Amino acid sequence: MKLLKKGAEADIYLTKWNNSNAILKIRKSKEYRNSVLDSKIRKQRTIRESQILSEVKSFGISSPLVYYVNLKKSEIIMQEIPGIPVHDLTESKIVKKSMEIGKLVGIMHQNGIMHGDLTTSNFILYKNKIYVIDFGLSQKTNKPEDHAVDLRLIKEILNSAHAKIMESSWNNFLLGYKSIVGNSQLSKITNLVSSIESRGRYAAVI
Amino acid sequence: MLGLGVESTAHTFSCAILEKKGKQGKILSDVRKIYRPPEGEGIHPREASRHHIENSSIVLSECLVNAGIKIEDIDIVSYAAGPGLGPCLRVGAVVARSLASYYKIPIYPVNHAIGHIELGKLLTGAQNPLVLLVSGGHTMILAFLNKQWRVFGETLDITLGQLLDQFGRSIGFASPCGKNIEELASTTTNYVSLPYSVKGNDVSFSGLLSASKSIISKSRSDACYSLQETAFAMISETVERALSFTRKKELMVVGGVAANKRLSQMLQDVCKRHNAKFFVVPLKYAGDCGSQICWTGLLESQVKKGVSLENTFVTQSWRLDSVVVNY
Repeated sequence: MKLLKKGAEADIYLTKWNNSNAILKIRKSKEYRNSVLDSKIRKQRTIRESQILSEVKSFGISSPLVYYVNLKKSEIIMQEIPGIPVHDLTESKIVKKSMEIGKLVGIMHQNGIMHGDLTTSNFILYKNKIYVIDFGLSQKTNKPEDHAVDLRLIKEILNSAHAKIMESSWNNFLLGYKSIVGNSQLSKITNLVSSIESRGRYAAVI
Repeated sequence: MLGLGVESTAHTFSCAILEKKGKQGKILSDVRKIYRPPEGEGIHPREASRHHIENSSIVLSECLVNAGIKIEDIDIVSYAAGPGLGPCLRVGAVVARSLASYYKIPIYPVNHAIGHIELGKLLTGAQNPLVLLVSGGHTMILAFLNKQWRVFGETLDITLGQLLDQFGRSIGFASPCGKNIEELASTTTNYVSLPYSVKGNDVSFSGLLSASKSIISKSRSDACYSLQETAFAMISETVERALSFTRKKELMVVGGVAANKRLSQMLQDVCKRHNAKFFVVPLKYAGDCGSQICWTGLLESQVKKGVSLENTFVTQSWRLDSVVVNY
């Protein structure tokens, strides 16, 4: 089995499932974490991820198919998406794809799913389609505040990792998001994003 | 080149003198007086500023004596212009302005948080680190990109330092409480489940604070232990996320809470998993000090002349990701 990536909370291996390529995601125990807390987090996230990976498909989001879940070992075997993370695309492509990412996030929110970890690494471009991965921090929620937390996170990532194209990609993201949730919902959520930002430490007092 | 730095953002009034030769910096002296609020209470801005006023001349003259130099030898003076408590910031600014105008020394306003990072880099030798800034005023994960420090994750409400202090005060410790909490926590390994709130790369501590306070009555030490384990695991996870996202090969921890050994231990383990080098600012310079202000001022003097006295502002809210770094 080949280690593909040592992620933040799980190790990703390339493996086989019924003779086709598959991804094995293991949330290994972390030595530094208290063991009670550690097993609680690993178990909870494995359940959540496998459930929501399947659920989002019902409203048209492309995500890896779940083949097998082993709760004791906190592992999930799922379909391999052999594309390129949006994070690694050229800057002009990221700007373009931001609109589609906005749409996908809008669809998830409309169906009561908050992704919880909206970074450019968690969207994979494969055969001209964008797949959403990594649902470990996702939640079923219709609370506008939770949806705003999602938007704030992707904004933060664009602002830090993709600073040069921040404005154009953020605008495109919002356009895509608006096309799904509508104008009034968009302004409701972006107002909440501003309110979260203003609660941040040393935020400019307006 | 000789610089004098004045720090007075919160409970510490400090003056330091550093010598800069090329890229090398040497701390010649660093003197501090720390305002201690009564047990169970936080910093009172007015009382803290009064403490700073009363101690400023003693600290300044001791700092000059320790460095073995005269005030006329100093090439630039820098002061912490923010972020911090208004009344406290003003004391340092007045001291710096007085020196600058009387002795005609160029003056530099410095962002206190950038100071933590720059001094950390000087003392640890980290080259291109992911930075974890954890103190009473900040809880941020940062990386340098395109002339600015960019925030990859931060607290959405209170800081790690505030969490420890507010919790500590509720069991009767005096601020800063980190050390007392760490000592009490080390006496047990009995973990009580507490809210764990990681939102992507960000954390939120306010729920954890309330929940931790509610278990104090059962066992103070269990509460300390569980609070530390939960809060530090949250920080470690977001650091892991940022390391894996940015693919940085160095982690540097700065700020007052960097002194906590349990946090260091956990972060060291994180670095091992990601093959990253671990740097932590030396204990003596983890907390607020004049050296951090002085060194940043010296760095700025490479590319900028000092500012005019009319522009020697102080500002309580000044985010470090708004500062353009040209040196």
